[in-house]
Amino acid sequence: MKKLRRSMLFIPGANAAMLSTSFVYKPDSIMFDLEDAVSIKEKDSARLLVAQTLQLPIYKESGIETVVRINALNTPYGLDDLEAVVRAGVDVVRLPMTNSAEDIHELEAHVERIEKACGRPVGSTRLMAAIESALGVVNAVSIAQSSPRLIGIALAAFDYLVDMQTERGDGTELFYARCAVLHAARVAKIDAFDVVYGNVNDDEGFIKEATFAKKLGFNGKSLINPRQIDLLHNIYAPTAKELDYAKKVVAAAEEGEKAGLGVISLNGKMIDAPIITRAQSIIELAKYSGVRRED
Amino acid sequence: MSDFAELSGIDYLVVNINAVNSDNALHDREQIVQLLKLSDLNLDPNVTYFIVAKKGDSVIGCAGLDHNIIKCVAIHPDYQGNQLNLILMDKTIKYAQDRGYFHLFLYTKPENEPIFRGCGFYPIVTIKGVVVLMENSPVGIKQYCKQLTLQRKSGSKIGAIVMNANPFTKGHQYLVDYAAKQCDWLHLFVVNEDASRFSFADRFKLVKEGTAGVANITVHPSSEYIISKATFPTYFLKERAKIDQAYMGVDLLIFRNYIAPALQITHRFVGTEPYSEVTHAYNEAMRYWLQDAGVSSAPAVRLVEIERIKEGDNIISASLVRNLLDAKQYDRVKTLVPSTTWNYLAKHLN
Amino acid sequence: MKIVQEATAGTLESSDLLVKVQPNQGLEVVINSDVNKQFGDQIRKVVDNTLQTLNVTDGLVIIDDKGALDCAIKARVECAVLRGSDEMKTLDWSKLL
Repeated sequence: MKKLRRSMLFIPGANAAMLSTSFVYKPDSIMFDLEDAVSIKEKDSARLLVAQTLQLPIYKESGIETVVRINALNTPYGLDDLEAVVRAGVDVVRLPMTNSAEDIHELEAHVERIEKACGRPVGSTRLMAAIESALGVVNAVSIAQSSPRLIGIALAAFDYLVDMQTERGDGTELFYARCAVLHAARVAKIDAFDVVYGNVNDDEGFIKEATFAKKLGFNGKSLINPRQIDLLHNIYAPTAKELDYAKKVVAAAEEGEKAGLGVISLNGKMIDAPIITRAQSIIELAKYSGVRRED
Repeated sequence: MSDFAELSGIDYLVVNINAVNSDNALHDREQIVQLLKLSDLNLDPNVTYFIVAKKGDSVIGCAGLDHNIIKCVAIHPDYQGNQLNLILMDKTIKYAQDRGYFHLFLYTKPENEPIFRGCGFYPIVTIKGVVVLMENSPVGIKQYCKQLTLQRKSGSKIGAIVMNANPFTKGHQYLVDYAAKQCDWLHLFVVNEDASRFSFADRFKLVKEGTAGVANITVHPSSEYIISKATFPTYFLKERAKIDQAYMGVDLLIFRNYIAPALQITHRFVGTEPYSEVTHAYNEAMRYWLQDAGVSSAPAVRLVEIERIKEGDNIISASLVRNLLDAKQYDRVKTLVPSTTWNYLAKHLN
Repeated sequence: MKIVQEATAGTLESSDLLVKVQPNQGLEVVINSDVNKQFGDQIRKVVDNTLQTLNVTDGLVIIDDKGALDCAIKARVECAVLRGSDEMKTLDWSKLL
């Protein structure tokens, strides 16, 4: 099955306590942040801490994907960050403020150089682009298609909204950007990640926003509080009804195949290949997340 | 998980409590005083900057910084026993570092010693029931004493004098000559702080020049462990009428427990002024802390008081010299100081 | 590599450690840990290995451990040493990881 990327938990790179406990929350991905969450004075310290933490076998053992948000390459920290984390074996490098395909090409060239220097298989470091500006949103399609290393693109709201001369509200302000990023991801056949929901104490608001993003088609969401992981995974879990229907679809398809039927139907409705694929993935997903709790 | 939730919503900030123009600072100052009161502490007049932990508008923890000395640390009873003290101390240590202070001292009550051991502080001396002085190095004073040991001289009677010499007078010279004659060797420490009218460099040079004729003497710059702002903060206050007994004990116990053994000092010499109550009280305290068998297991250091010499009706003292300089009575100054000091003063008269 | 200036790295927060380094003749390490009794030897081993890999010959290293994982101990020691040795600019990443 394809790697699930529902939850991407942000962990400040300078915080040893959070770094050493983050895996217990079992997010799909952990994103160690070397950028905004780390003060200028602690850049060196956070870089080493994240690099050493990445060596822990626990992430591979528990199937948690490791992502590091590096500083932009035009800062004094970006290249050192990249050296450290590529060598440390990070799964995915997240580039902040991606404005164009060239930004990814530049990153890719450095990653390849470092891979060769340290003996890591070329291409094994995956990338993701964070889109945080009007220019980035407009260029989303070319960014999403810029490299085979890309596993996804993420929308980041804060700088984007400043750029757009508006502010965080009911979601109207992000509607175009969400759709644009999502379409770009689908065109390139990579994942799309929704923005962070900032108010960690507002579960209701979080559920509302995450449900909306899921309905749009996002694969997952960036999170800053581990408490939100379970809420989010529950939103992505299939309902009992959906699971039940999916099982029937798959059963009907299998029977139809045995019988050599060209056209399969269930309860009088025709079932075609996309419906079967979706049903299979719902069953697979249910194995990971169970059935949605209606609480 | 505590790391994500429990101590969130607490802000850490630096407050200049002497920023009298700021309502915020006045508010914070008021709250700090209240918090210290809960811990039975007073606001130390030497502390300007406090690192405070705030929950909303209330100060729930504070740590004061006087140069490289941490004091007035208090945590609200409701927040004791969790990580708050560690985080507060961490922020305080970092703030001190940003101001260039790596080697830190800390004053606290003896019962709180274990808490600060957990923050990387190690005790130097304890005044039972009153105060403990700690430093953020397990080897700080030991390393200093190791260096002192290299300057050890043999003999059965080894003397020591600690002086500020602000500036070096004939009175100081008399004290040194007298002590040196009585001892196999004399260790003279010149207070190494630039808190006096004459800089340390100048004071040190004048002491060296003024004692050049003495064969059995070593002139040392004093360290942070001998009459420094850390070990004896009130020494440097303008008004020395009320010398804090506890601080005096700290400085003298360090001398007795560490400095004296390192150099095998047996006697400490001090000048006395028969009419000065302050000096009298200080010398009384010295006798107690240096000689009393109950306050330390280290060998006693004999205190030798030497009456100061006079010029006419006046006892020769550095403060008299400074007053005469202010009054431009240079002819009288000249009679009170050695020629080496006079040459220096004459050059700097304008 | 010699420690030429005072430096620190890390914090006193739980699961972390504070590492202080300062100039010294020869290498000296002092470890003060909340979990000294159980894990003292293991902490020392990680610290010694890290210092050895960095080839630190002179310096006083003081550690206040708050129950940090080995990876954090390694990272903080590396950081303090690099800050205290003024060699941060010429980092050899192949040595550090």
